[in-house]
Amino acid sequence: MNAPRLIFADNNATTAVAPEVVAAMQPFFGPEYFNPSSMYEPALKVAGALKAARRTVAEFLGGAEPAEVVFTSCATESNNAAIFGVAAANPARRHILTSRVEHPAVLEVCREMQRRGWEVTYLPVDRQGQIATADFVRALRPDTLLVSLMHANNETGVVWPVADWARIAKETDREIVFHTDATQTAGKLPLDLAGEMQHVDLLSFSGHKMHAPKGVGALFVRRGTRLRPFLLGGHQESGRRGGTENVAFIVGLARACELAREHAADMERIARLRDGLEADILRTVTHVEVNGHGVERTPNTLNLACHFIEGESILYELMSHGICASTGSACSSGSLEPSHVLRAMDVPFTAMHGSVRLSFSAYTAEADVRRIAEVFPRVVADLRKLSPFWDQKHNRPRDDA
Amino acid sequence: MAWEYSEKTKRIFLDAVQGKPGTHLGEIEDADGVGQHGSIVCGDALKFTFRVRKNEDPLKDVIVEAKYLTFGCTSAIAASEALCALIEGHELTPIEALKIRNQDIVDYLEGLPQQKIHCSVMGAEALEAAVVDWAQKRGVDLAAQGVKLTGETADDDGRVVCKCFGITEPYLRRKIKELNLRTIDDIVSALKAGGMCGACRYAPGGLQDILNETWGTGEPAPTTVAAEPVADTGISQFQLFRKIEKVIDETIRPVLKGDGGDLDLVDIKGWTVYCALRGACAGCLGATRTLQLIVERTLKDQVDERLRVVPV
Repeated sequence: MNAPRLIFADNNATTAVAPEVVAAMQPFFGPEYFNPSSMYEPALKVAGALKAARRTVAEFLGGAEPAEVVFTSCATESNNAAIFGVAAANPARRHILTSRVEHPAVLEVCREMQRRGWEVTYLPVDRQGQIATADFVRALRPDTLLVSLMHANNETGVVWPVADWARIAKETDREIVFHTDATQTAGKLPLDLAGEMQHVDLLSFSGHKMHAPKGVGALFVRRGTRLRPFLLGGHQESGRRGGTENVAFIVGLARACELAREHAADMERIARLRDGLEADILRTVTHVEVNGHGVERTPNTLNLACHFIEGESILYELMSHGICASTGSACSSGSLEPSHVLRAMDVPFTAMHGSVRLSFSAYTAEADVRRIAEVFPRVVADLRKLSPFWDQKHNRPRDDA
Repeated sequence: MAWEYSEKTKRIFLDAVQGKPGTHLGEIEDADGVGQHGSIVCGDALKFTFRVRKNEDPLKDVIVEAKYLTFGCTSAIAASEALCALIEGHELTPIEALKIRNQDIVDYLEGLPQQKIHCSVMGAEALEAAVVDWAQKRGVDLAAQGVKLTGETADDDGRVVCKCFGITEPYLRRKIKELNLRTIDDIVSALKAGGMCGACRYAPGGLQDILNETWGTGEPAPTTVAAEPVADTGISQFQLFRKIEKVIDETIRPVLKGDGGDLDLVDIKGWTVYCALRGACAGCLGATRTLQLIVERTLKDQVDERLRVVPV
């Protein structure tokens, strides 16, 4: 039997590199190998490519200035650089405001700041994964240094009104620095740092979530933001990030930004596919919930919680049908802890372990989604047959479950 | 980033290093004015000399020859060459020559990369030092002639902190104390340092570090609006809040309800009142404006002029 066609539905984890991106990068693995800082003529071309890439990324961010774009190795680095850098440049203020559902690249840095003596407030979320704006307002303090709240959640896709929160923060106190991790929205939702998001000071994102390769990201640093460099040892990036520029990957990131703009309409198609699949599954599978249901989500993400079965086994069976997805279940994580996001959302324990995240991209075909709609109910039914919490005879949860 | 020099800069540089006729590389013996700027530590240094046609009245001395020795990059050498070309053969007195500023050098070179502007500053500084030297030799009191020196004359060796303007650490430390500069904004306004790319502001050993070393990190920055005490109102915070609530309930809410809307008081911090519009108002495009106009004006009039409203 032939192996089934691979259906990649884990695009919030990473994405396939676009062929256009590979082509754009190619020359820099060949004849254009020069260090962009070098003085001789051939290096000028490489420096020019770097400059053009910076301009493209600035445009992608909705009219940022090229000088406001700092290239990094990934969003994790951008987040580290943002939080540590702001704290180091503003030692008088000691309070950081973030949420319980941030990516570990923010959460763990905030915990480290606590160990170093800063105070951190972790805002709670409701059952849909949202933060009440009133909670946000009340948590702002006179000594608040930094707000770090993600634009969209990587597990549920729930989008937050960070532009509005940034405005409120600035209207409260201009000295507050506002950072957002936009790793899950870059390439999916428009980022408008000169317009709607004009009060956002720092914004992180990564290349490999938007069809550029792994190993490149960026940090938007609004002009005038107090930030101490995180990576010392070079004049590159105007002294804000030492290290010879990863030109090939930076050019790849810029190409991916261009593609994202060209294919903005694709996101509507993906949203339709996602919504269709969601409706299908809710119709064909009982005792399943959509995490983040009914609130604004990134167009490509569907997070399902299936009661009484375990996520890792769901993934395993999906894989046997050629479908790649991910789960927030404990068994899948190194720590044997279920997803901190779903816990913060108070997803019932019976369902938390059965959570599955399907995330699509521009390369997801309608046939792929149809196949998932067909396979998923079978997988759930198969596993429920094995579940001690499932009443096999009546095909419903056992009364004592 | 490789430097992007203008064609003119490149040509002047090549002409100068190849010693083509008409270029000014060298040093005038027994010069009438000698000025130096920069040092090997900085990465570039310029020795500028000129000769004058002496007049009985030293004020009528005219510069007839100018030369330079420059240790530095392409643009430092081109800037030195430009300086000499701007001065020589124009029948300038030394005091007239002082009118040449670094921007003239930049223009002559048809632009310099932003990070290389300090090369032109170096030229202007060396010129100033040379004129000061000439004035001493010829017994001219520059101050009496109304000449204002820019103050950065040739005595600063040391690490360049602000690379855009070529401003050194010793100079910064002296000026920070002299002018009582307390913040980065103070420095930018007074010295320009940190005003271009801003990279030196929070870099290690940068402006903030020098400020901290000069003044100490001191008390935590005064907390702003959010915690502003309501001490001078004569009423307690509790009474102020009661008053705000009362005005909202009795005056503002009825107006909004008249339009089918309502308002939630979310929080009050110091003088800042956070409100959310509910009901019919929430979908209204003018909602934010409604809040600003009606709520803020009413609260200012009836409670305290200092109150602000933030829509949430």
